[in-house]
Amino acid sequence: MRKGTGTGKGLKRLSCLLGGLVVIGMFIPLLVVFVISFNPGNELIFPPHGFSLRWYSNIFHHASFLSSFHFSIILGVVATAVSLIVGLSGALVLTRRKFRGADIISGLLMSPLVVPQVVIGIGFLSLFSMMHVYHSIPSLLALHIIITLPYTLRVLVANLSRCPVSMEEAAMVLGAGKYRAFVETTLRMIKPGMVASAIFAFVTSFDNFTASQFLIWDRATLPIEIYAYITKENDPTVAAVSSVLILMTVGLVILMERWVGLETVTG
Amino acid sequence: MAEQTKTSVSLGLLLPGLFCLLLFGASLFAVGILSLRPERLAGEGIGLNQYLRFFDDTRYLIYFWRSFKVSCYGTLLTLFLGYPVAYLMARSGGRIRLTLTLVLVVQFFTSYIIRAYALMLVLGNNGLINRLLLKLGMIERPLALMHNETGVAIGLIMVSLPFIVFPVYSVLRGIDLRLEEAAESLGAGEWQVFWNVTLPLSLPGMAAGVVLALLFQVTSFIVPGLLGGGYYDMVANFICDQALSVLNIPFASAVAMVMLAITLFLVIGLNKLFERNLKDVSA
Repeated sequence: MRKGTGTGKGLKRLSCLLGGLVVIGMFIPLLVVFVISFNPGNELIFPPHGFSLRWYSNIFHHASFLSSFHFSIILGVVATAVSLIVGLSGALVLTRRKFRGADIISGLLMSPLVVPQVVIGIGFLSLFSMMHVYHSIPSLLALHIIITLPYTLRVLVANLSRCPVSMEEAAMVLGAGKYRAFVETTLRMIKPGMVASAIFAFVTSFDNFTASQFLIWDRATLPIEIYAYITKENDPTVAAVSSVLILMTVGLVILMERWVGLETVTG
Repeated sequence: MAEQTKTSVSLGLLLPGLFCLLLFGASLFAVGILSLRPERLAGEGIGLNQYLRFFDDTRYLIYFWRSFKVSCYGTLLTLFLGYPVAYLMARSGGRIRLTLTLVLVVQFFTSYIIRAYALMLVLGNNGLINRLLLKLGMIERPLALMHNETGVAIGLIMVSLPFIVFPVYSVLRGIDLRLEEAAESLGAGEWQVFWNVTLPLSLPGMAAGVVLALLFQVTSFIVPGLLGGGYYDMVANFICDQALSVLNIPFASAVAMVMLAITLFLVIGLNKLFERNLKDVSA
């Protein structure tokens, strides 16, 4: 790049120093969680005195962690699937049809991103109470579909607008039916976008705490159990749970890097 | 034309999206309606009592003041810390860039709760920093890095770094390096090049990141909840407390409406401001 000119060195060095420190500062807390999760005592001291897996086995003695984990996974998968379908059909209309108010509708569909989570939470609590539905499953599912929709819609609109309709037409000229033409050409081309938006949607749903806490009439999600545990007991069990989740995230990110590249996240 | 109708999609496909929109709109409408209830428990009538109560008592304004203050300087610090990371990522070779990206994306995808919890283990009285400083003899008593404004600010900055780094990185990577080389060949020093070429060209990324980070920080619940530990509640914590502990839904709804108005005002205002000024830069 700039070899030989000798310029840009001080700048690069400074960004290495500052940026490097910041990234290390971001990385250390996660490392501390890992180390503390192996602490034999029930205090949260770094460095720990010894090594033990008791907090990992303690996860299994807390039925609430396991059941809420199970619930969060199912909720995330179902919400993601619905959000993908709604997002894909919406993105198809928004990219391929010109109609009045299209900009307004796509703006409104993105609006859950700018409305504070507490406001959305109170809104869903009020709405479902008014309808006399006091069950977590339908209300949380509706909530998670709506808050994940902006992510699926945005990625899929971006993907579809780069995807020429002519391919689909060519397939139809060659005798494919409407749906087969769509599946074989367009859907195949936007597959990376589908994967990326599915991951975004799942993570958003799985992590959601602030709005979901208003809807835990009969079921709690994992973040809510974790928060309650931190504020009540606060022994290293949460560090063990966190370590497991961080490892799962690392796995997901590596898979994502392989499948679709991390540019889908970083832009 | 006949060919075009074959591939054109039916407007009916928008229906599921519109249904979601309807549900979302109805939920916001419900907050608005509830905020007009004069009584705490579902009573009759309509009035502005809840809003009057809120604006009458300066005690309540402190939550808004905290949210506003911390997120203003928090966002600036996040920008200041995030920019070098983005610059480093954009100007490094493959392996370093991949490592940095991996660390940031893992951060980004890890739950807010876990990241806030991890910071508790670093900042607490028995946390990494205090243990280290005590061992080195640099302090005699643990520093109060948590359960106060400092802890909340550190938490908000650390958690919202990816919001700044990603957009700035994306813009920096798109800058044509020949522009910098041209400035250099005309005799500009490296700092002059950065100040007059690179930084102005990266303004759109900074603007996008600032809006995201500010939005996150102003509305944050988990970070002030865990790192403030109840000693530094911000707006979102106050609203939750009113709705879920005090069980005063009408009052919580009124405060939520005020929060919504302020948030929308901030986001739209900032977008307008950046739009206008960034046009000046490119013109």
